[in-house]
Amino acid sequence: MGWTRYFRRRNWDAERARELDAYLEQETADNLARGMMPEAARRTAQRKLGNITNIREEIYRMNTLEFLETLWHDLRFGLRVLGKTPGLTSVALLSLALGIGSTTAIFSVVYGVLISPYPYARPGEIWAPEIRDARNPRKSLGAYLPDAYVQVTKLPAFAEVMATNPENRLLTGNGSPENFTTVSVTSNAFQFLDVPPVLGRAIAPSDVHANGQPEPVIVLSYRAWQRLFQGSPDAIGKAIILNDVTYSVIGVMPPRFGWWTSDGGWVPALIDSRQERPLFTIARLRPGISKAVAEQQLHALHLELAKAHPARFPTNGFTTVLNNYLDITAASGEMQSSLQLLFGAVGFLLLIACANVANLQMARATARRREIALRMSVGAGRGRVLRQLLTESVALSLVGGVLGILLAVAFTRAIVMLMPEFYVPNEARISVNGYVLAFSAGISVLTGIVFGLAPALECSRLQLVETLKDATKGAGTSAAGGQPRNLLVVLEVALSVVLLMGAGLTVRGFVNLQKTDVGFQPERVLMVGLQVSPKRYATYEQRIAFTEDVLRRVRATPGAESAAMGNGGLPFGGPQSGFSIEGQPPVQAQRILVNLISADYSKTLGIPLRAGRLLSEQEVARGDAVAVINEAAAKFWTAGVSPIGRRVRLDLLDKPGNALLPAGRATPVFTVVGVLANTRNAGLRDAPDPAVFLPYTVIAPTGRMLAVRTQGSPMMLLNAVRQQVQQVDKDQPLTRPITLEEILGQQTVQPRFNMALFTFFGLQGLVLAVVGIFSVLSYAVVRRTHEIGVRMALGAERSDVLALLFRMGGKLVLTGLAAGLLGSFALARILRSEVFQVPVTDGLALLGVVTILSVAAFLACLLPARRASRLDPMIALRHE
Amino acid sequence: MLQGTLDLLILQTLVLGSAHGHTIAHAIEHRSDDVLQVEHGSLYPALHRLEDRAWIASFWGTSENNRRARYYRLTAAGRKQLAEQTGRWDRLVQAVNRVLRPVEE
Repeated sequence: MGWTRYFRRRNWDAERARELDAYLEQETADNLARGMMPEAARRTAQRKLGNITNIREEIYRMNTLEFLETLWHDLRFGLRVLGKTPGLTSVALLSLALGIGSTTAIFSVVYGVLISPYPYARPGEIWAPEIRDARNPRKSLGAYLPDAYVQVTKLPAFAEVMATNPENRLLTGNGSPENFTTVSVTSNAFQFLDVPPVLGRAIAPSDVHANGQPEPVIVLSYRAWQRLFQGSPDAIGKAIILNDVTYSVIGVMPPRFGWWTSDGGWVPALIDSRQERPLFTIARLRPGISKAVAEQQLHALHLELAKAHPARFPTNGFTTVLNNYLDITAASGEMQSSLQLLFGAVGFLLLIACANVANLQMARATARRREIALRMSVGAGRGRVLRQLLTESVALSLVGGVLGILLAVAFTRAIVMLMPEFYVPNEARISVNGYVLAFSAGISVLTGIVFGLAPALECSRLQLVETLKDATKGAGTSAAGGQPRNLLVVLEVALSVVLLMGAGLTVRGFVNLQKTDVGFQPERVLMVGLQVSPKRYATYEQRIAFTEDVLRRVRATPGAESAAMGNGGLPFGGPQSGFSIEGQPPVQAQRILVNLISADYSKTLGIPLRAGRLLSEQEVARGDAVAVINEAAAKFWTAGVSPIGRRVRLDLLDKPGNALLPAGRATPVFTVVGVLANTRNAGLRDAPDPAVFLPYTVIAPTGRMLAVRTQGSPMMLLNAVRQQVQQVDKDQPLTRPITLEEILGQQTVQPRFNMALFTFFGLQGLVLAVVGIFSVLSYAVVRRTHEIGVRMALGAERSDVLALLFRMGGKLVLTGLAAGLLGSFALARILRSEVFQVPVTDGLALLGVVTILSVAAFLACLLPARRASRLDPMIALRHE
Repeated sequence: MLQGTLDLLILQTLVLGSAHGHTIAHAIEHRSDDVLQVEHGSLYPALHRLEDRAWIASFWGTSENNRRARYYRLTAAGRKQLAEQTGRWDRLVQAVNRVLRPVEE
């Protein structure tokens, strides 16, 4: 006996049957002996024993774990039923999988990038001060000079304050020279961030001497450690040379630690009040101090500082704000709003998926009302029927759930691959989020179960006889259950219209962006950075000689059409400066973009000259006080006045003692000699900023940008350019080689990401909604087969039947479409977002959405309608 | 019939020696002077249950009239169980009697 009996049941049953037979024979024999007739003897014996089948069943059940037994039966039956309707089943599975997969993937990304991107201690309690320009909030300041920083650290509201200043240094010694991101941090930084190193120790306050001089020690990032020391633990104590200063490696941080760099290192900062390096400052509040109090204290300090150094603060007045570190750093601006919107979008998608599952389950179960009624009428207990339906729904939902999990993993990977790295903090780690997976899977599975059960509950309340009678009549007039299903379809269509609108707007925005005239010719231009060692090239003359030498050699390289040397963003961005125009009252709020260029700049980038002339070779070589401006800047002069020959004063070059090494005779006043056409220097989406172009030789910073227009593919020339540079200085690295087209491409990465995801989810929503329409109509055809037969028998044409079904489908679709469009307008008013560059009233997007939806809905109606119109009335009438 | 009493009766019947289902059914009927009418069919699930608990064991044998029949015998555990259940039964009967017939004096 024991557990083996569960496996020997068949045997057992046969033995019991024999035993009962033996009883019957014995009893019959006894009865015969009592003088009964054989016939009566057997009957009496049988009566005495009772129902043999019942007895055997009773014994059989004793040998089973009944729950498991019925579960297994139900499961097999359920899978058979599901397999009989592969269409419905796969659609339900697809809905579940897409809903779960997309929701989980997007939330995983949102969690990794927005909610918990940092390994630092309590990142939500880190505050960054901002001095916000009263007139132009975009031009606000977030860094202090060292003397001001020291005062900020003394404010009573702050428990701890730290500062960061990144720079590129030249790494020499082992291997080829390279640019190494070296982040100076105050000595308390690692206490402040509170992440333990994986090797050695982090920077400690003892690494800075009492006189403020820091020890030459460096903590390496994980990647730099892998790259420079092959991940060897011996790295601790080794030396690396940065800008000709020897630093000793004291520690290695874990891979996720990426404070301002994930491929460089951290050194203790020199806090010297004579220095002009900006210190990016963050703070933690003292316990019990509110943000508002801290802001007041900080503002009071700012006002004091502004009195002492008015030039450092906005002239139009300012406010002081403390920003939460997570708000300003975790996936900046557009990426943030894009992810938030996408999260909303997948929420809709999950809703559509659930509605679809509910719909299908209801259709399926309603179709089985008769079967259920029949089962109950022949004695199946209500609980037993419920359990069977439950098993079916759970099986369906679980399979869908598993598919959903697989999709979630795949989608998450795809999104991470699509995501523009630039917008994501380098500390962020994105992986499938277990909680969300559980949540979305739970929701969808629950939907499947609840709606799978609803008809069973209804059925058990139902008059069995009615249902059976109704069913035999062909269910022609019964509309029960139709209303909620129609409503679900309308909801689905409406939600998918909203999703499609989002997709349409992102597509339109992207297309607009692609069509933007950038104002220069981006083809065949190679850009490389040149970062010279400040020690080796200590003087203005050395630096200029180096760049001139490089420029001359590169120009002469076969395959190079022209070359230009410059600074900052060629062609985007760059430093901005206050300015004043000679002979005009000073305009306070205006700033101008300052570009440093060599003579061939406009030729190399292909920017047409509008008026006057370009800078000459000689002017650039001498560093003359001449300038070219763009058309936007020309507007600063009074209408009708030509700016050519006029003079402009640039505040940026009026700062003595900065590290930029101005030429001996540099003056902040420049004479305008020409006007260049506008370029999209503020990014593809924004109007061109006013810009002024000066000879690059006016100053001599350590970093320069070299642009080369090539005859063939620009990257093919990279090696030749490198050889030329290293013939001038064999230790000189090239940084970040990139083509101008790639730089332009980066500008469209975020819009492309938005477009790809919104379109993807929009189409998913559409597919699910179409499936919803299709299933409701198909079901209606089945339900109304009898009625359609009657209509046809009474003379309805096939076209009448087609029209009947299209009217039905059309009503659902139009209602959904109207609701969806209204919803989109309402949402667009609430969510003004940079993700959508075109307004929701954009005609083309609107037209596109309506067209796509109508065509898809038409196809969804067509199939069931055709089936209905082809019904043979005779067969339809007999249809049960 | 009271729940559990059938088990007790079967065990008691088997004290006298092994028997097959038919014999057990009739034995219970006769020895209670036909008061306890066992539906003979219900005997078999009970037999199965007892065997499952290892209180009785079964074997195939030949019946009085030379037919193959399944015989049951009491196991040691069954004997012990019988003693226990009989004791419990006696106590139950006494208790019920005391309630039904209060001391008449």
